[in-house]
Amino acid sequence: MNIIELSGVTKTYGSVVAVDNLSLKVPKGSIYGFIGPNGSGKTTSIRMIMKIIYPDRGKLLINGQEHDSKRLRDVGYLPEDRGLYKKMKLGELLHFHGELNQGKDLKKWIDYWLKRLDLMEYKDKKVETLSKGMKQKLQFIATILHQPKLIILDEPFSGLDPVNADLLKDVILELQKKGATIIFSTHDMSMAEKMCDYIFMIYQGKKVLDGTLTHIQDQYGNDTIQIQTEAGASALNGIAGIEKVNDFGKLQEVRVSSGADPQDILIELLKLTRITRFEIAKPSLNDIFIRIASPERKEAHHE
Amino acid sequence: MNKIFTLFKREYRAAVRTKSFIISLLLVPIMMGGGFAAVIIMENKQDTEDKNFVVVDHSGLMEEPIGASLERRNQTEILDPETGEQVNSAFKVEFVTPGTDVKAQQRELSDRVKSTELHAFMEIGPDILHPTKDSESYLRYYSEHAFGDDVRYWFRNIINDQLRVMRVSELNLEAEQTADLFHWLEVDGMGLVTVDKKTGEQQEAKKSNELQSFLVPYVITLLMFMLVMMSAVPLLTSVMEEKSEKIAEVLLGSITPFQFMMGKVLGGIGVSLTTAAIYVSAAIFTLNYMGHESLIPYDVLPWFFVYTVLFIIMVGSGMASLGATANDSKDAQSLTFPGIIPVILPLFIMVPVIQDPSGPLATTMSLIPPFTPTMMMIRLATPVTVPMWQPIVGLIGVILFTIFTVWIGARVFRTAILIQGQKPSIGNLIKYAFKN
Repeated sequence: MNIIELSGVTKTYGSVVAVDNLSLKVPKGSIYGFIGPNGSGKTTSIRMIMKIIYPDRGKLLINGQEHDSKRLRDVGYLPEDRGLYKKMKLGELLHFHGELNQGKDLKKWIDYWLKRLDLMEYKDKKVETLSKGMKQKLQFIATILHQPKLIILDEPFSGLDPVNADLLKDVILELQKKGATIIFSTHDMSMAEKMCDYIFMIYQGKKVLDGTLTHIQDQYGNDTIQIQTEAGASALNGIAGIEKVNDFGKLQEVRVSSGADPQDILIELLKLTRITRFEIAKPSLNDIFIRIASPERKEAHHE
Repeated sequence: MNKIFTLFKREYRAAVRTKSFIISLLLVPIMMGGGFAAVIIMENKQDTEDKNFVVVDHSGLMEEPIGASLERRNQTEILDPETGEQVNSAFKVEFVTPGTDVKAQQRELSDRVKSTELHAFMEIGPDILHPTKDSESYLRYYSEHAFGDDVRYWFRNIINDQLRVMRVSELNLEAEQTADLFHWLEVDGMGLVTVDKKTGEQQEAKKSNELQSFLVPYVITLLMFMLVMMSAVPLLTSVMEEKSEKIAEVLLGSITPFQFMMGKVLGGIGVSLTTAAIYVSAAIFTLNYMGHESLIPYDVLPWFFVYTVLFIIMVGSGMASLGATANDSKDAQSLTFPGIIPVILPLFIMVPVIQDPSGPLATTMSLIPPFTPTMMMIRLATPVTVPMWQPIVGLIGVILFTIFTVWIGARVFRTAILIQGQKPSIGNLIKYAFKN
C-alpha cells in the first residue's frame, strides 16, 4: 500500500520548470530519501505533497485521496527553512503546534520529547535563548508531537553536530518502527545510504534515480575499485582502463572504463608499486550523485 | 475553525502580554484626557496679573468712557461675585497725546510691548464718530498676538457703545426712548423635541450642547482610529516577519493560508475589543460619576462595535495580504501608507462632517464602504438624526466590501506568502490576486 502516489506531476514558475513530469510511489512504513543538488526540485516536490503549493499538471494521491485544499491530517512537516516564534516559551510553542495539528495528550508528549531530545531544562525558557542546534531539535519535536503517520523532513540533519545527528537518526528509526512513513531530503549521502529503504534523486526537475540502494547501485555495476598502494595516487597515472580517479589521500577510488577489466589494472599496478588494498566495489551513493550532478554532466545535459 | 481559534489565541496572547500593549493602553487615554484636562485647567486658572495698555486717541473722544469702564471693571468685574477674590487681570490704561511723528511713536510703543512693560497699545482714528469713505476711522490694536488676544474686543465694545450713545444724543432723543436701542438678542441652539415611547409624553427640547455636538463624535472617531491602528495595521509587519523568519511555511504545513490570515485578523479584533471594552466601560463609569451621563451615546454603541469589528477585518485582511507580499521592513514601510488611507482620510474631513453631518460630503463619504465605518459613526454620534436606511445601507456595503477584501486578501496572501524576493508592485499584486 502506497501512502503517496505522484503521477506526471509538473510545476513551473514562469519559464522555469521546477518539477517535470514526476511520478513516484512511497510505500507505507518506509523511509524514503530525497536527494538532489540545490535547486533541483526537492523542496517544490515536498511542498506539493504538503499541499502548500499545487501542481500545474499531474495527479497526486495521499492515502489514496485526491488533492484538495484541506490540510493533511496525521502529517508532520519540517520545512527546509526553520521558523519559530522567538518570544514564546518552548512549552507554549510546542503546545501551540500540537494544537494546530490536532494532537492528543499534548502535555504528556511534550514532556516525553523534551526529555528524549535533552531539552527539558529549557521548557520554560524562550525560544530566542536556544542555540541553532537546539532550535532544530525543538522544531523536530513540533513536527512529530501529534504522532503523525507521515513525517516529511526537509534536511533534518543540517546544522546538527554528530551527537545530535545520531540522536535524531535514532528517533527517526524509532518512529518508523512504530509505523510512521518517513520522507526526508538530505545532502548527507552516507546517512541516506544507511537509513533509507528507498532513494529518489531529482535533478533539474526530473527524476533520475528511484529505488532501493542495491537496485540503484546495480544500475551502475561493479565499476569501482578502492585501491591503497605505497605510491599513492601517482601510481595510477597512465594506466589504461581507468576512467576517473577520486583521490582521498590514503585511498583512491577508481572508476573503471566500460569494457575494461579490473584484472588488467591490477596486473599493471603490481608492476609499479606494492599494493595493500584492491577491492572491487559498487559505487557509493555519493559517487553516483556526483556522476549525475557533476559540472561535466551538467554541460553535457545542456548540449 | 479550531485551527483559526488556536492561532487567534496565540496572536491575542502575544499581543496582550507585551509591555507595549499595557503601556499604550494607559498612555493613550492619559494623553487624550491630558489634553482636555490641560485646556480645562488653563481656562479655570485665569491670569490675574495687571495688564498695561497705552491708548493713542486721535479722536479725543474716548478717554473718559474708557476710563469709566476701566474703573467699573477693576472694581467689580474682575472679582468673583461669591468669594470677592480677584479672578481676572486688572487693566491699566495710559492715554498719550498723538505724536507729530506717528511712526516714531508706534516704534517706541512697540518696543515697550516687546519689553513686556505694556500688554498692547491702541490707536483710535480721528474720524470714528462719523466715518465716511475717505475718513480716518480706524481702531487698531497692536500686540504680540493680536489675533488671539480677546482684550481687543473689550476695547471694541466700549468704544462702539460710546459712539452709539454719542450718535443718539446728537439726535436729541430722550434717555427712556433709547434704553433698549442696543439690546442684542442671541439665538439659542436647541435640539428637537422628542416623545417618550413609554409614556407618550413630549419631552422638552434640550439646549444644544457644544460638548455633545463635537466632543462625542470626535472621541468616538479617535477611539475607532486608535483601535484599528493598534490591531489591524501591525498585521502588515507581523506577517512580513513571519514570512521572512520562515515561520509562515512551518504554519502552512498545518493550516491553510486563509486560516492563517483569519487567525491573525481575529487576534487583532480580540486585542481591539479588549481595549475598547476597557475604554468604553471606563468612560461610562467616569461620565456617570461626574454626572454627565447624558453624554454617553448608548444608542450608537452597538453601531460602534459592529462597524469597528468590520473595519478591522477589512483593513486587517488588506494589511495581512500586503504583509505577505513584503520581503523586508523597507517593503513593509512603503506598503503601510496605501494600506491605511481608509483609516487616515476620514480624520482629515472629520471637522466638516461634524459641522454638517447631513450635508452632501458627509452623506456621500459615509456611503463609500472603505470610509463608511468612521464617517457613519461620526454622523450617528452627532445629535442630528441620520435617516435609518443610511446606516443600514452603509452596513450592507461594508459587509460586502469586507467579504471582497477578505477574498482578494486571501488570494494575494496564499500566493505571496511563499514567494521570496519579488517586489510588491501593483502588477504583482494583481497577478497574485487574479491568477490561480
